[in-house]
Formats: sequence, C-alpha cells, structure tokens
Amino acid sequence: MSLFDKFQPLAEAQASLGGQSPAAIATPIEAVLSPTRGIIDGREVLLAGTNNYLGLTYDPEVLAAASEALTSLGSGTTGSRMANGSYQTHRALEQELAAAFGWTSAMVFSTGYQANLGTLSALAGKGDYLLIDADSHASIYDGARLSHAETIRFRHNDPDNLDRRLQRLGENASRALVVVEGLYSMLGDRPPLEAFVEVKERHGAWLLVDEAHSFGVLGERGLGLTESAGLLDRVDFVLGTFSKSLAGIGGFCVSPHPQLQLMRLACRPYIFTASPSPATIAGTRAALRRVLHGQDLRAQLQRNFSRLYAAAAELGYRLGSDVPGPVAALLLDEREEALALWRGLLEAGVYANLMIPPATPSGLNLLRLSLSAAHSDQDVDRIIAALAELTVSA
Amino acid sequence: MTTDHQEPTRQAIRAALARALPEHRDLDWSQSLTSEAGLDSVQIMNLVMEIEDELDLSVPVDVLAEVNTLDELAVRLSQLT
Repeated sequence: MSLFDKFQPLAEAQASLGGQSPAAIATPIEAVLSPTRGIIDGREVLLAGTNNYLGLTYDPEVLAAASEALTSLGSGTTGSRMANGSYQTHRALEQELAAAFGWTSAMVFSTGYQANLGTLSALAGKGDYLLIDADSHASIYDGARLSHAETIRFRHNDPDNLDRRLQRLGENASRALVVVEGLYSMLGDRPPLEAFVEVKERHGAWLLVDEAHSFGVLGERGLGLTESAGLLDRVDFVLGTFSKSLAGIGGFCVSPHPQLQLMRLACRPYIFTASPSPATIAGTRAALRRVLHGQDLRAQLQRNFSRLYAAAAELGYRLGSDVPGPVAALLLDEREEALALWRGLLEAGVYANLMIPPATPSGLNLLRLSLSAAHSDQDVDRIIAALAELTVSA
Repeated sequence: MTTDHQEPTRQAIRAALARALPEHRDLDWSQSLTSEAGLDSVQIMNLVMEIEDELDLSVPVDVLAEVNTLDELAVRLSQLT
C-alpha cells in the first residue's frame, strides 16, 4: 500500500490520452506572442483555448501600469492583507470595484479560487446552508467543504429544483446562501437568473453570483450577467476573477451589504495568504477601466462568437449552450473522438482545450473553444475552416 | 441489516435506480458503488438527485462522502427521513 495508490485511476485516465506529443492535458505553451498567438510544439498557433475574452493581456495601458508599479512598489508584498501586505492600491482597487457596481463593499483576493473558497467558507458557517448548482466550479465545491455549513446541490440551471430545496428548509431558508455562476465555463451556458432571484426572494434566502467567466463579457459596462439581466439591485454578492477578462490574477467579492467588510476578520483564505503583488493590482486597475468602457471590445467578441456558433451548428457540431457566448463547447460522444478533434485542430494551427471527466459535467467529452475580442475576422475564419476540414475528414 | 422502517427508503432507491441508471437496476446493494459497481461521481450524483425527488428530502453533500454501498445509503437516508 502506498499513499500514491489513490492516483492510479488518474494515471490510467491520463495514459488513455496516449503518449503523443504535445500532451492534450496541461499542454506546454512554449511562448506566448500576443493575446491570440503562441508557440506550441515548435509551431506558431492561433490561441482559441484561453480565457482572454477581451484580449487585454497585452493592452498598452495595462502593461504600462503594471510595469510602473513593479518598479516603484516592488515585486511582491511579502505578507498578508491582515499583516504587512495591505497597500493603498489594494484599497483603491476595492473602492473602484465597489463603485463600478454602485455598491458599498468589495474585497480583493489573491486568486479567483480563493475568492470562492474565502467567501463561501466565511459567509456560511455552522448551522447555515449552502445551496449550490450541481455543475458548480471546483472552487465552489471546495469553498463548501471548507465551510461548516450543510451543503445541498440543486439540479443545474433549475430554479424549480432549488425552490423545492428551499421549501424543505422552511424558516431556515433565511440562513441559506444560494450560489450560481453567470456563465458556466465548461458548457458555456447561463442560468435563468431572474427566476433564481425570484425563488431566493420568495424564501428570504441570499444569492451569490460567480461572474468569473461573464465579467467583462456581458452587460453594457461588462459587469456580467447580473448587469445584463437588470438584476444588480436584487443579488447579494457578486464574485469575480482577475484572470480572465481582467487579464491578471486574483479575485474579488462585491456586495451591497456594508457588513461584507466584517468578513475580512473571519475569512481564512484572505487572512492567511500573501496579498496580490503591486504589479498585479496596478494592471488590474487599468484593465478594469478598459472593461467598464469596453463596449467596442464586447461588440467584437460578440461578433466573433456569434459567427463561430452559427458555423459550428451548420457543420453539424453539437454545442453545449443554445445561447452563443465566448465559450463554444463541442460535445463529443467518445473521448477518442474529442482527442482526435483536439489533435486535428492543433495540426491545423488552432489551439483549443480538451475537457474530459471528472472536470466536465455529466461525464461529457468536450472540445472547448474560447474566443477573444482580439481575434480578427480572419482568425475566426481560420477556426471555422479547420472545423469544416475536420468534419469532412471524419 | 435491513429493518422495516428502511423499506420506504429502499423502495425510493429502487425507483430512482430504475430511472437514473436503468442499466444498473440489478446492482448488488452490498457492492462498493465506485470500485466494484464502477459508477462514477456523476452517475452517483444523478442517482441521489432522483432519490431526493422520490423521498422529497435534500441530501447534504457530506452524507454522500460517508457511504460506499446502496445498503449504507439506505441506512443513512432512513436516518434523515
């Protein structure tokens, strides 16, 4: 018996993908040249498997702000927000995030994963309830495990199913935090948010929307699904990440409830970790300004994903979402089929993501394409041409 | 050990099994759901959701981590009802 025995099924799953280079999981990217170009296996490829939805990783203002902060404030804070790592710029970013939503409170975390881990575990304690969508991201499941709350799953995107679970809680529903995502990263689908809001209000529960993949993408000012659905005054918490549209690394929680500030005193993944580096914070502040005035970027992104969705459907691919969005998940019956499509696309010079269980919902095998505002019409043409070619040869 | 008060729970599990995993309807109730019966986490989750609807109760996620077989699930769920 060995401590490592438990990893054997994972080793077998990895082996089932074959030993061919480059590896389909954790594919080495040898160099990144721009938001849409990189070097894989010695060749320049079109990047269609990132979360760089607005293409801001090389935005001149983002780079200039990060460079200036790196030089003036140093490479790291060397401590936590509670100790020596709380800089004026961390506070400034929190104020800017809260102001963007028109709310009172915001907290910045060192990663998006920690934003969920910290917020869920701090808000929902012993005697409280967490009601989470069955297709929730791992950070939501892990946040639930770290909390001492009773965690109950409801069926994916099913407000009636949530309704029944809140009904069973009776008066305790006032101690229940419901968690949904603005855009699910695997299938690219969205929740019926207004119906969820109606259910949570009827039971007096609380609602948190994780806008990790929808922030920057949806809404007039890019605040996410909550903004685009006109529900900013009816949700309790919005979570987000800096590592997608904001082109950095980190996460945040914003809320109209001023008591969120108290959470700083009880939130272990916030307290016991180093705060984000000055360069990260400065780059994120610049990216946030661009996001809030990024209607041009969102228009281009929408044009790109609308074209890809239409073309993929026309070519006969099954998509994970009925509503076009920045994630286009092609559903494949067999793992081998998904792997062959992934390799075929890479050979055609297009890097996408192979997604297989247990990372995917319902045991699906997915070829996940994600688009960016930085993709040109010609880039989208090239992705579509590669998909068409692979359909013909299949 | 099966007792009478578990019977409604067992019936609900049988009905849910037939709906969620018809190919496993003859599953041995003393088998490990994962290592012996070969179910994955998604299949187990779908089965539990069917059972929840059948019994009109919500099963906390950590309860699932405690059980390995349908027999154990029946015992644990009958404590919740």
